[in-house]
Amino acid sequence: MSTADATPAGAAAPSVWTTLPALYRLLVRTQISLARLLGIGALGALVIALGALVSQGDDPTGAAGDVATFALGLVVPLATLWLGTSALGDLVEDRLLVYLWLKPVPRWQLPAAAVAATATLAIPLTAVPIGVSALIAGAGEIALEAFLAAILACLAYAGVFVAAGIWFRRAAWWGLAFVLLWEGAAGLLADGFARFTVVGWAGAILDSAPGSPSEVSAGSAGAGYVVLVAIAVAGWLAAVYRYKRGELD
Amino acid sequence: MSHQPRVVADGVSKWFGSLVAVSDVSFDVGPGVTALLGPNGAGKSTMFRMLCGLAKPSKGTVRVLGKDPRADRSVARSIGLVPQQESVFERLSGREFVTLNAKLHGLRHPARAADHALGVVGLDPADPRPLPTYSKGMRQRVKVAQAIVHDPQVLVLDEPLSGLDPRQRVDMVELFTRLGAEGRCVIISSHVLAEVERIGSRVLVISRGRLAAAGDFRELRALMDDRPLRVRVRTDRPRELAGALLVRGAVVGARLDGEDVLELDTADARALAHAIAPVARERDAHLYEVRPLDADLEGVFRYVVER
Repeated sequence: MSTADATPAGAAAPSVWTTLPALYRLLVRTQISLARLLGIGALGALVIALGALVSQGDDPTGAAGDVATFALGLVVPLATLWLGTSALGDLVEDRLLVYLWLKPVPRWQLPAAAVAATATLAIPLTAVPIGVSALIAGAGEIALEAFLAAILACLAYAGVFVAAGIWFRRAAWWGLAFVLLWEGAAGLLADGFARFTVVGWAGAILDSAPGSPSEVSAGSAGAGYVVLVAIAVAGWLAAVYRYKRGELD
Repeated sequence: MSHQPRVVADGVSKWFGSLVAVSDVSFDVGPGVTALLGPNGAGKSTMFRMLCGLAKPSKGTVRVLGKDPRADRSVARSIGLVPQQESVFERLSGREFVTLNAKLHGLRHPARAADHALGVVGLDPADPRPLPTYSKGMRQRVKVAQAIVHDPQVLVLDEPLSGLDPRQRVDMVELFTRLGAEGRCVIISSHVLAEVERIGSRVLVISRGRLAAAGDFRELRALMDDRPLRVRVRTDRPRELAGALLVRGAVVGARLDGEDVLELDTADARALAHAIAPVARERDAHLYEVRPLDADLEGVFRYVVER
C-alpha cells in the first residue's frame, strides 16, 4: 500500500488553516446533540419568556436588568458548562483523544478549537436570547450591553470549562458546584466577591448601559472586557498545558 | 532487506503507584512484521502507549526512527496506530473519520487518500452511515484505514484482528504482511497464539510486564510443543484409567482429585488423545469430561517464563 501524497517524515507541519478548522468542525459536530440543543434552548426560551413577563411591569429597564443579571449568572454558565466540559472531556472519557493526539499538530490547536466550538454553540443559544429578552421587555437601551456581556461571559466560561473537562473526571459536577456556589451564591450575594467571578465582570459590562441595570458589578466595563478575555485565555492555556503533559489511554 | 532498527525500547519500565505495568523491557524492531504476544493484562497496551508517545516511561527510553515519540511531535507523521479501544466518533462516517486523520497529517488530497485507504481495507468509501452503525469488524477496518492513510513507516496495531470474521482476518493478515514486506516496521499485539502464528515470524513475548522471550515464532512454537500438558479427566473409574495410561506411556504422571477427577501430565498430547478413549473402553470406564488445563496463553507463558 502506498498513498500517493503521503507526507514524508521530516516534512513541514500541516497548515494551521487546514487542521484548526478540521478540529473545530469535529468538535462542533460532536457537541451537537438533540438533548443539549433542547436543554440549552429551553434555558434561552426561559430568558425570553422572563423578558416578556417583565415588559408588563412599571420599570421594564430595571426588571430587564435583573433578568439579564440572572441569565448571566445562571443560564450562560450552565449552558457553557454543559458544552464546555464535554468538548474535550467526552473525548477523554471515550478514549478518542488518541486519534487527535498522535498527529503532527501543535498542541495549542485542539483546546483552541474546543473553546471556539463551545462559544459557537453557547452564544446563539444564550447570548442572543439575553439580548432579545431585553428588547422584548422594552429595554432596548440595555440590549447591546447585555448581549456583549453574555458573549464575553460565554468565552470566559468556555475557557474555564474546556480546561475543567480535560483536567478533571466528572468535571460537569465540579463545574455545577462552581456555578451554583462560586458564581451564583458568592458572586451575586457576597459583597466584594464579584471581582473574583465571571458574572461580576460580565455584570460590569452590563452595568455600562444607561441606568446601570446590573445587580452585580466588579469594576469598569473596560476592565470587564479585558478580564473576561484573560479568563478565556487562561482556561485555554490550562487546557493546553494538560493536553501537552497528560498521558492518554 | 537490511535490518535497520526503527523502534527501540531500552530498559523501559512503567509503573502506576505501586503497580508495575512494564518492567525493564528492551528490544529493537526493524522492518517487517513483529508480533507482541502476551495474555491480557501482560503490559502490551502500556508498551504500545509508550512506543507511540502517549505515555512516558517511568524509566528507560523509547526511540522511534531515532526520536523520542513523546517529545518530538514530528514522529507522529511516521506512526500509524490502531488503538485497542472500540469507541469511535459517533457523528462521523468512515470516510469522514479517515479524511479527518488525513487532514491532520497534512496530506494534500485528504479525501483521495481516505478513499484509497478505505479501499485497501475493503470498505466502501461512499458508505454514508455513521460509524456506530458499522459492525465491529467494519469499525476495526476503519481504524486500520485511519492508521495507514498517511503511509507511515511504523505501524503499531493493538489487537487489530479483534472482531473480524475469518475471511477478513485472512485479508488483514495479508495486508500487514505486505506492509511489512514493503519495508515498514509493523508491530502487532495479540493474545491469540494462532493469530500470531499467521502474522509474524518474529515475536516478542511479554508476560507480567517483562519480556519473557524474543525471537522467531517457530522457536517458540517448538518450545510450546515440547512442554508438558496437564489434562483434567472426569471418569467413574479414575484409578483403573490412570494405571492403564501410565502403563501405556501415554502419561508421565497422574493425580487423583476427589472421587472422580484425574489430573494427568503428558509430554505428548497427541498420544494421550489417541490413547484415552480406547483405554477407557477396555477398562469399561465412562469419560464425562476431558479438558486440557494450562492450554491457554497464560499457561504457555508461564512455561516459557519459568523454563
